[in-house]
Amino acid sequence: MSNAFAAAVGDAAGATLSRLPGAGVAWLDAARHAHLSAFLRDGLPSTRSEAWKYTSLRALEQRAFALGDVDAATRSVETRMLALSGVDGPQLVFVNGMFRADLSRLDDLPAGLQLQSLAAALILDADSLREAFGTATTDAFDRLNATLAGDGVVLRVMPGVRIAAPVRLVFLGAPAAVDLAWHARALIVLGEGSELVLVEQHGDAGAHAHLGTLVSDIRLQRGARLHWNVLQEAGPGAVLIRRSAFRLATDAVATLHALELGGALVRHAITAVLEGDRARFITRGVFAPGGRQHLETRLDIRHEARDTASDALWRGVANDRGRGVLHGAITVAAGADGSDARLDNKNLLLSAQAEIDTQPVLEIHADAVKAGHGATVGQLDERVLFYLRSRGLPLEQARALLTSAFCRVALDRLDPAPLREHFAARLARHLPRLAGDSEA
Amino acid sequence: MTREMLRVGPGTANRDVLGAALERRYSAGFVTDIETDSLPPGLDEEVVRAISARKGEPAWMTDWRLAAYRHWRTMTSPDWAKLDIAPIDFQAISYYAAPRQGPKSLAEVDPKLLETYEKLGVPLHERARLAGVAVDAVFDSVSVGTTFRKELAEAGVIFCSMSEAIREYPELVRQYLGSVVPAGDNFFAALNSAVFSDGSFVFIPRGVRCPMELSTYFRINAGHTGQFERTLIIAEDDSQVSYLEGCTAPMRDENQLHAAVVELVALARASIKYSTVQNWYPGDENGVGGIYNFVTKRGDCRGDDSRISWTQVETGSAITWKYPSCVLRGDRSSGEFHSVALTHHRQQADTGTKMIHIGRDTKSKIISKGISAGRGQNSYRGLVKIERTAAGARNHTQCDSLLIGKRCGAHTFPYIEVRNPGAIVEHEATTSKISDDQLFYCRSRGISEEDAVSMIVDGFCRQVFRELPMEFAIEAKKLLEVSLEGAIG
Repeated sequence: MSNAFAAAVGDAAGATLSRLPGAGVAWLDAARHAHLSAFLRDGLPSTRSEAWKYTSLRALEQRAFALGDVDAATRSVETRMLALSGVDGPQLVFVNGMFRADLSRLDDLPAGLQLQSLAAALILDADSLREAFGTATTDAFDRLNATLAGDGVVLRVMPGVRIAAPVRLVFLGAPAAVDLAWHARALIVLGEGSELVLVEQHGDAGAHAHLGTLVSDIRLQRGARLHWNVLQEAGPGAVLIRRSAFRLATDAVATLHALELGGALVRHAITAVLEGDRARFITRGVFAPGGRQHLETRLDIRHEARDTASDALWRGVANDRGRGVLHGAITVAAGADGSDARLDNKNLLLSAQAEIDTQPVLEIHADAVKAGHGATVGQLDERVLFYLRSRGLPLEQARALLTSAFCRVALDRLDPAPLREHFAARLARHLPRLAGDSEA
Repeated sequence: MTREMLRVGPGTANRDVLGAALERRYSAGFVTDIETDSLPPGLDEEVVRAISARKGEPAWMTDWRLAAYRHWRTMTSPDWAKLDIAPIDFQAISYYAAPRQGPKSLAEVDPKLLETYEKLGVPLHERARLAGVAVDAVFDSVSVGTTFRKELAEAGVIFCSMSEAIREYPELVRQYLGSVVPAGDNFFAALNSAVFSDGSFVFIPRGVRCPMELSTYFRINAGHTGQFERTLIIAEDDSQVSYLEGCTAPMRDENQLHAAVVELVALARASIKYSTVQNWYPGDENGVGGIYNFVTKRGDCRGDDSRISWTQVETGSAITWKYPSCVLRGDRSSGEFHSVALTHHRQQADTGTKMIHIGRDTKSKIISKGISAGRGQNSYRGLVKIERTAAGARNHTQCDSLLIGKRCGAHTFPYIEVRNPGAIVEHEATTSKISDDQLFYCRSRGISEEDAVSMIVDGFCRQVFRELPMEFAIEAKKLLEVSLEGAIG
């Protein structure tokens, strides 16, 4: 292989594959090997590839990561920093991509909720996961993940069951002697008419360099409701590549709130396929790169059935040398009449070295639709700043106040309330740092 | 050589009235039966040299073409546009076709040529004078007649064919040719640079306001020929010019390639307004035939306070691939793009603009109106790029799509890249259809469905039509009406 990244994968893959959970299951071995050879053949994409136009992987290509952390089970980590006050439902904690029963809370699961680690599920009943692993993909990180993911989450909510307490999935990075790569997978199914609140958190116990990939496969059956909340506060050395793929059946509703705050190079690709009539997908979030952070969020929302609705509202704030990228694509397929699709992306550029790239895309193949998008890039209104300062607010505080108000709209509809407050607090804690660092 | 007369047919009557009206008449679909002098199909260095030799070009021009050709050979045809294009066999195209009788003045022009223009309504000859328009008519590849030369010369304006400019004003051509769209800019621009046969050259000297609107009519005539014209417009300091370009091509079954390059240079405080009504043959309702219109148009606002404005009405061509752009280099320079693109039947358009803000306080405005009917696919693709140096830059983009029918598509692919915190960029896009309510309202007022559609479409496009010179605005409105007849039903 021509680059260090792929060479490291190629060298270690053989040994790693044989000890991954599920190794020895014929179909799984075959799928993993197929994904591996496809990855080794094509490598990482370049910025000439349209999907990676704004995210360069050239620096990553020159780095080698060790596959998996053999000491993950015994590393001591401080989980307090990720605690969510008032949120005390079931939780799964992963350290360097490996499930840690000792840090998790899986006892007293509510009736109708199945929750286990992927490693356990692969050992107990790999065949039930066959469909989720068989997905064909052309994305390099999807391939890498499909090859090397040995742990993660398997979550099922039985039909008609409403789970009141939020379920937390916590991904923690801990420093090791070498630069590590981990790959995790979440398989989530909400049965007919069920409801679930989920919190996905990313954090690191240090500034160590590492790579994490997470692929979440989320299915909502008829009438199911999912509230998915992502708090991404990865450490400054983290490269975090995630895909969250939603599929919604008739009358299902998924709401995704995301705060993309941490990490060095972070990409979150969100795909939502509205397969059933009247399915709805709502996504709201904030990405706020500072320092030299590169944060990309990609939305790919597909209306494939009648009277489906999607509503995306994202705010971006870039400071220092940070770069924020939003790609928001909405596709309305032929026959998806009555679709209603909206995307709203507003961005603040706070420093001379920062950059925002936004790409709202509409592809419409049906005529009885309402579809629109708006995107802006600008800065804080000088007149409003002046007004606040004339009322005695110091400049920094005035900027922080306005920046926070600018972002806050993305969290207004987050439920439940304690979680909303917690998210708002994390955002507020992140933003003044941003606004305060900027040059006047 | 092509000797063929094509027939124009209104198409067979359809079962329902609306369907019948939907059958589109391509009124410019005729072939002029004159002898042409063509090179055999195929492209290699010899062909490039032969084109250059036939035009009696100096060595530097031949070398420039050859360099472009060699670069082109290393390139691949772009595939990022949302277009469904059958592979093009570039060796099956004849790269040069010139009317055999070399006309020296309008009086010597083959009457059949003039007849062609008459059918198209080109205001040539006396009609040109009445219309107050100077026309540089490009017939296939060679410019056959230029009117109003004298009047323009008195003002110091140079308006001639590109071949003539290469002969008469080599220092100007050498200075500016390829300075906005370099020979190797993209696949089709490189091809054009190697084989371009003619085009228009405009030079407006310092302080001159061009006394009349300049106009060129392009026409593809001979079969199996691509048309590769190259236009260069230079507006020196404090000058002003408005340029009109109209395009039609006869009906033919095979797809023909049109790969043009247009370069605009606006120096300090200069203003260039470039308007296009593009009505190349779109192919029939089954997507057979039609022009592949792959055009690179770019304006360079090189001087401070300069201004370039593109207006386009695109109703023709089987496939349109074009992004008239502005490089806003000078401080306070401004770029505008006003576009109406209509696709009907199996037409495809991937069009938009690029606004590259480099200078301080630069401004750009983009208004794009896409109309899709039948099985037409219409994409807006636009880039707004604010470089770090472009403090105080402003952009506003409005992109609207109108869908008429269930099988068409309307797509929007904007790229917004901002690197200066003093910039303000706004993009808005909407997609809608002509609603039953609107139609019902109009019909209850005694307006026929056809008239109602035409009225609504006219209203939808008004912001763009307003930018067109009057005679073009009327033509554009008529073109849309003809193109959309009966598209509702």
